[in-house]
Amino acid sequence: MKARYLVVALLAAMVAVAASAASGGTNRAQAGKIVVWLQNDAQNGWPEAVALANRNFKAQHPDVDVDVQYQSWGTHLTKFDAALAGGDAPDVIELGNSEMSKYMAAGAFKRLTQSPFPNNKTWLTGLKVSCQYNGKLYGVPYYAGARAVIYRKDQYAKAGIKSTPKSLSQFVADGKKLMKTYGKDSGYSAVYFPGKYWYAAMSFVYDYGGQIAVQKGGKWKGTLNSPQAIQALNQVKTVFKSLTRASRTTDEANPQQALVFAKGKVGSFIGNGWEWPYALDAKLGNPALAPVIGAYPMPSHIKGRFMPTFLGGSDLAIPVTTKNQSLAADWIKAFTGNAAESEIAKAGNIANTTKLLAYNASNPKLAPFARAAKYSWFVPTSPNWANVENGNVLQNMLVSIATGRASVKAAANSASKQITRILNTGA
Amino acid sequence: MSRLAPEGAVASVAESEFTLASRRRRRFTRHRLGHIAAPYALLAPAAAVIGVILAYPMYQLVRMSFQKYGLFELIRHKGRWIGTANYASIFNDAEFWRVVLRTVAFTAVCVSLTMVAGTAIALLLLQVSRVVRIALTTGLVLVWSMPVIVAVDIWRWMVDYEFGVANWTLTKLHVGNFVRHDWFANPWTGFGVFTLLIVWGAIPFVAITVYAGLAQVPQELLEAAEIDGARPWAVFREVTLPLLKPIFVILTSLSIIWDFQVFQQIWVMLDARPTSDYYTMAIYAFHQSFQISEYGLGAAIAVVMVLFMFAATLVYLRQMLKAGEVH
Repeated sequence: MKARYLVVALLAAMVAVAASAASGGTNRAQAGKIVVWLQNDAQNGWPEAVALANRNFKAQHPDVDVDVQYQSWGTHLTKFDAALAGGDAPDVIELGNSEMSKYMAAGAFKRLTQSPFPNNKTWLTGLKVSCQYNGKLYGVPYYAGARAVIYRKDQYAKAGIKSTPKSLSQFVADGKKLMKTYGKDSGYSAVYFPGKYWYAAMSFVYDYGGQIAVQKGGKWKGTLNSPQAIQALNQVKTVFKSLTRASRTTDEANPQQALVFAKGKVGSFIGNGWEWPYALDAKLGNPALAPVIGAYPMPSHIKGRFMPTFLGGSDLAIPVTTKNQSLAADWIKAFTGNAAESEIAKAGNIANTTKLLAYNASNPKLAPFARAAKYSWFVPTSPNWANVENGNVLQNMLVSIATGRASVKAAANSASKQITRILNTGA
Repeated sequence: MSRLAPEGAVASVAESEFTLASRRRRRFTRHRLGHIAAPYALLAPAAAVIGVILAYPMYQLVRMSFQKYGLFELIRHKGRWIGTANYASIFNDAEFWRVVLRTVAFTAVCVSLTMVAGTAIALLLLQVSRVVRIALTTGLVLVWSMPVIVAVDIWRWMVDYEFGVANWTLTKLHVGNFVRHDWFANPWTGFGVFTLLIVWGAIPFVAITVYAGLAQVPQELLEAAEIDGARPWAVFREVTLPLLKPIFVILTSLSIIWDFQVFQQIWVMLDARPTSDYYTMAIYAFHQSFQISEYGLGAAIAVVMVLFMFAATLVYLRQMLKAGEVH
């Protein structure tokens, strides 16, 4: 009798085992509604641009509603995969420019014709390239971003720093001055640089002439263990060790570094243009910092030059599963027209067209980022690159270096090996 | 019955024309048929539910584990058969074996601590006054009823890098300088936090179940043992433990199953981006599936995981069946 109860209990237990499942979106496209997935940067940084696009779209299609659903970078691809499998993906999706090729190669997006989209002749080349696969267009450039050092002018002045640093060694020396002046407070960071902040760390690598991976004869090879890259990563380690008290196991978005900066115990951080106004946000940030906040391009290890910045950015695409392709295209047109793009630029980004670049250069809050954007780097252009990003390969390496779990060399060797393997999968 | 079913009424009228003997025989066979069919009919709803929520997903999982199923295949809803290549790939993957070892060790530690602490609290419940017992039981039930995500968020704040109350308390108690201490910088302390979190969440179920079992132990047996001069530990070991063995076996098997597949706690605590030192089998399977888009590989890992758990519970199942025969 007891044994029989046990069997029942075990069956119940096995049912419990099966209960772990992933959640997906449930946005079946209906006539009269389109679903748009945007990253929450738009929600925080340029909601006016989204509202404007929706108004314009609504004027054109009064009987169609737009349901904008905001996603976060950490989970949006997982949700997108689940939605694709379930056949209920959104009608428009924003993807980071480094995430595009994996999905274009897999045939996830509708092919687009270039001519109907606003400013298509003057799209930023860097973004346009990320929208193309085998010479065909699958996306529309949305905006680009460049990072610069956002800093506290008052703290720099009090620490006796007369002008913004012109070289990396000056940057480190100035940071040490800040630590001397303010560092008694155990929560203070001269540079807020969390352990997983790979966009900033890889800029060091490219500045020293290193690369994440190179392609030779159709084969990829991870090269973070090259002498140049190792030298650069040692510099990153110096920043971790002597200039920051940020957690060595978190990234720049958890917590949002601009909001940590807003709390006042940070001298500077390497941030996107939109993070400047975000730090001053009336609700989440600290508007009182407005008179003392500034920005300058991150200096190179070669005096007088800038460190290359990651040419980040986003594109908009139409998933193959949609039944509302022309509506989706109309919404993208409304969102990438001059009016909305100007709003996006005002929020601290670089608009998708060279026509609006003058807008950035003439605005003191945007000019440092526009200058920084002149020297940029981009991730290896392999369809498998997104797997390196999502596989946390670079984050694992940086955390190992920051926490001292592994030597720079050992961490870089292991990362290079993984990158080689992932980029060549299926090739 | 006949009023509700007119066909039945017609049938019974027709039946009256049969001889008594044939009627008796018919009744007998009908009775026998009902006797045989009844258990199956009673089992049917449960079997259907298990079929829908367990068998079908399991079938899909096993199927997918023999297929190349990446993003390309996902969009077309069609995998490509590649035999056992996925299994070969994970068995040759050093990372996979590290993850397995880590998961087994983590499960062993969590289950042992849960069982020992849970039993200790159950024994304590027997000794304390009514008021204390009610307070303690209420506390246990509150912990048990707390949703995992809420619990993780609370623990996350307690060990927060900047504002963690655990860091503050340890510093105030002069245990050391824990200001801006990063518990997850070192995987050992990181897993220490996870062990505490899991054990804390699992204790209530074990404690309350064992307490219920303890209440069923015949008082006279315990008294007899005491009169024979057995010390409390010996009474527990020689009398209580054997009587409660079935309960312990079930609790241990369930705990193994729960702890072996730990996912949310680590995932949520580490911002959905755990570094590879924090991969357990469940996270590794999720990582391969949803982050690398290799759903076939992820499925193969999940299948191996299910087999592991099945093997663990099978040992106990056999032991129990043997015990059942003896009684």
